[in-house]
Amino acid sequence: MIIVKKIYLWLSSLRGSIYVLGLLCVFFLLGTVFPQGRDIALYEERGGAFLPLVKLLDLLNIFNSVWFLSLSFIFFLCLLFCAIRRYGIVSNKEKGLPKNIKPRYSLRTCWGVGEANEEAFQVIEKTLNFKRIGQNDGWVILQKGLYYKWLTWLYHAAIIACFPGLLLSGFFMTEGILTLEAGKETEIKSMMGDETLGWLVSPDHPLPSFTIILDEFLTEYVEFPELIYPDDKRSRFAIALGWKDLEYELKENSLFPKDWLSRLRLIRGGETVAEKTIEVNHPLKFESYSFYQLAYTQTLNLRINNSKELIEVDTGRRAQEIAGLNSKVKVGTLRTGTLFKLNGTKVKISPFLMMKEVITDAEGKVTTREEQKLELGKSIIIDGDKIELIDFQEKSMLSYRYDPGVPLLWVFGSLVFLIMALRCFGRWYMLAYKIEVKDGKTLLLLSVKSKGLLADPEWLKDKITRIINA
Amino acid sequence: MLTQEILGRDAYLLTIELKLFWTIAALYVTAVPLFLLFTFTRLKSIGNLARGILTGAATLHIILVIFRTFEGGRAPFQTLYESLSWFACSAAVTFLIVSRKWKDFRLPGAFVATLCAGACFYALFGRDPAVEPLSPPLQSYWFESHVFLAFTSYAVFIVSCSIEASCLILRPFLKRGMIIADGFTEESIRRYRRTSFNLVTFGFPLLTFCVFSGAAWANEAWGRYWSWDPKETWSLITWSVFTIYLHAYGIRKWRGNVASYINILGFFCMMMTFLGVNWLAKILGIPSLHLYSV
Repeated sequence: MIIVKKIYLWLSSLRGSIYVLGLLCVFFLLGTVFPQGRDIALYEERGGAFLPLVKLLDLLNIFNSVWFLSLSFIFFLCLLFCAIRRYGIVSNKEKGLPKNIKPRYSLRTCWGVGEANEEAFQVIEKTLNFKRIGQNDGWVILQKGLYYKWLTWLYHAAIIACFPGLLLSGFFMTEGILTLEAGKETEIKSMMGDETLGWLVSPDHPLPSFTIILDEFLTEYVEFPELIYPDDKRSRFAIALGWKDLEYELKENSLFPKDWLSRLRLIRGGETVAEKTIEVNHPLKFESYSFYQLAYTQTLNLRINNSKELIEVDTGRRAQEIAGLNSKVKVGTLRTGTLFKLNGTKVKISPFLMMKEVITDAEGKVTTREEQKLELGKSIIIDGDKIELIDFQEKSMLSYRYDPGVPLLWVFGSLVFLIMALRCFGRWYMLAYKIEVKDGKTLLLLSVKSKGLLADPEWLKDKITRIINA
Repeated sequence: MLTQEILGRDAYLLTIELKLFWTIAALYVTAVPLFLLFTFTRLKSIGNLARGILTGAATLHIILVIFRTFEGGRAPFQTLYESLSWFACSAAVTFLIVSRKWKDFRLPGAFVATLCAGACFYALFGRDPAVEPLSPPLQSYWFESHVFLAFTSYAVFIVSCSIEASCLILRPFLKRGMIIADGFTEESIRRYRRTSFNLVTFGFPLLTFCVFSGAAWANEAWGRYWSWDPKETWSLITWSVFTIYLHAYGIRKWRGNVASYINILGFFCMMMTFLGVNWLAKILGIPSLHLYSV
């Protein structure tokens, strides 16, 4: 029993919280040093300098390891015990009253001895709206503002209340990626490897009762001129001195993605139940599922050297070998959709991409030839080979997520922030006053304690002085 | 306006901006030795000159930030070049506000001015100053508030750390009664440490908001509020270290040097979140959704 009490006291103490948080920091740090989610076999293959430690602490999956989850649980206990223990202290009004009060300010008044107490009451309680909370050794004790100890307790409690949200996410969330082709109805089932599932979700969980259709995928670009800016430090300094000029250059491929949009419909029993054009930061939400614009893929149909067969090539990859070509090529992103020009006009882009030959010499040194523009229906020659762009397909990549923990997290997370802000910035005063008569003069003795960055005892004293002298 | 005219105008505006930025960087550099010189000589004129130069630099820097905002037509903290500039500006302004009544305590100024100069020169020598449009993930109402408050909290933590570091440096000299600690008492050091604590109390809710709004933003953009991305994790480390600091300050025995060291550690974690994580992810080949290209 004594041990349990000792653990309770340690976990609910400031020192306990500090040590547990410190340990958590060590785990966080390890999680940024060791690449998470990587295969341990690959780690071993690449040297695996800390292999025994990596295996013991599950360092490649540290945030799902027993160690980290146990420590998180201890942290939760810390918060919980701390809140329970502090509740007793905060709710005990008697304990909160100061003892052995010493005056901080002594204000001379023109009040008569008989009326001084009534005058002080009028100034402090009626005019300044302080609330009386008790008396001690002749001092009248009052307070104003939200009691800081309650605020501190409340935002700790709100952090505790976030944990069920985290648990709900951990237990029940479902997450995956969809790659949608325009016009094709698709089930909500991950297409890129396995779904990420909560700890209690079975891999063969039922699919949602609706399907999804991509009606249209759109890309938008803005003209983005390239700044001709020197790499070396001297030339950069020379620009500052006015010895060199800066220049912007608008090249053919000087485009910057403005937006990519997917026009989506959700279908249940042959009827549209939800529709929205989504983009990054603007998901489609339906029932407890959300669909997010993640990225897009492009596949080109190329004809090499007038061959009858078309070859499918993905864009945006590093240097790749294409059947029928003598050399490796780098295939840039296909530009299509709408272009917002610098002069304020808007044009439809005639689909094109930039392609360049990549040469690797005998020593493994990689160089590239000048980029060439390949337009839809036209051709270019690379290393003697004719490449013709016949057609292309774009697919929209969406991520979907079902997460019942999010609403709880947002509610209590917002509360944590709001209450913490009130605690840190808000004003709270505890004022004790006493009337003293010295050499025939009536003095108002004040003792002020304050919390919160906006609280200022000097300001309060000045305000009381002004009221007394008015 | 014709496209060529627009390009010419933009190049001209950027040239002006760069000249102004170099001037600001030079002013920050000039302020550093003056702050140090004051600390060793206690000559008021030098102290005032150092503060005057830093005030000039910060004023010009505010003008530069406003200029860049009009140039880009958006909040000026998208690229690392812009973020570094904003970082230096907010640190200098915060220091000037916090230290407005200090007469004998100028050493933190040297620390802040060094950091500002470092950030400016890193931006000028190492980064591309081109004004970029906002990429789709950044086109969110969270962008301005999240980044603005993050840098405000950073600025506050920088000043807080500069105070703590200065107190740690000056304290041994105070005991030996050397000129460097002239005008200092244990009481004044306690007061400055209190200021440092108040600064963290100011910055901590802002940092909390940043972590929270970052999660909300990630949930809206990618459908996942937390993915243990290195930047996210380091922001959590920074938050945890400052939490430790605030708790340590509540323990009487730890309120002095121990709390100071934790505060300084918090500053290093903050720098890791802002810059170090880019290098760490590059060196270790860890993918991140938040990286500035390095």
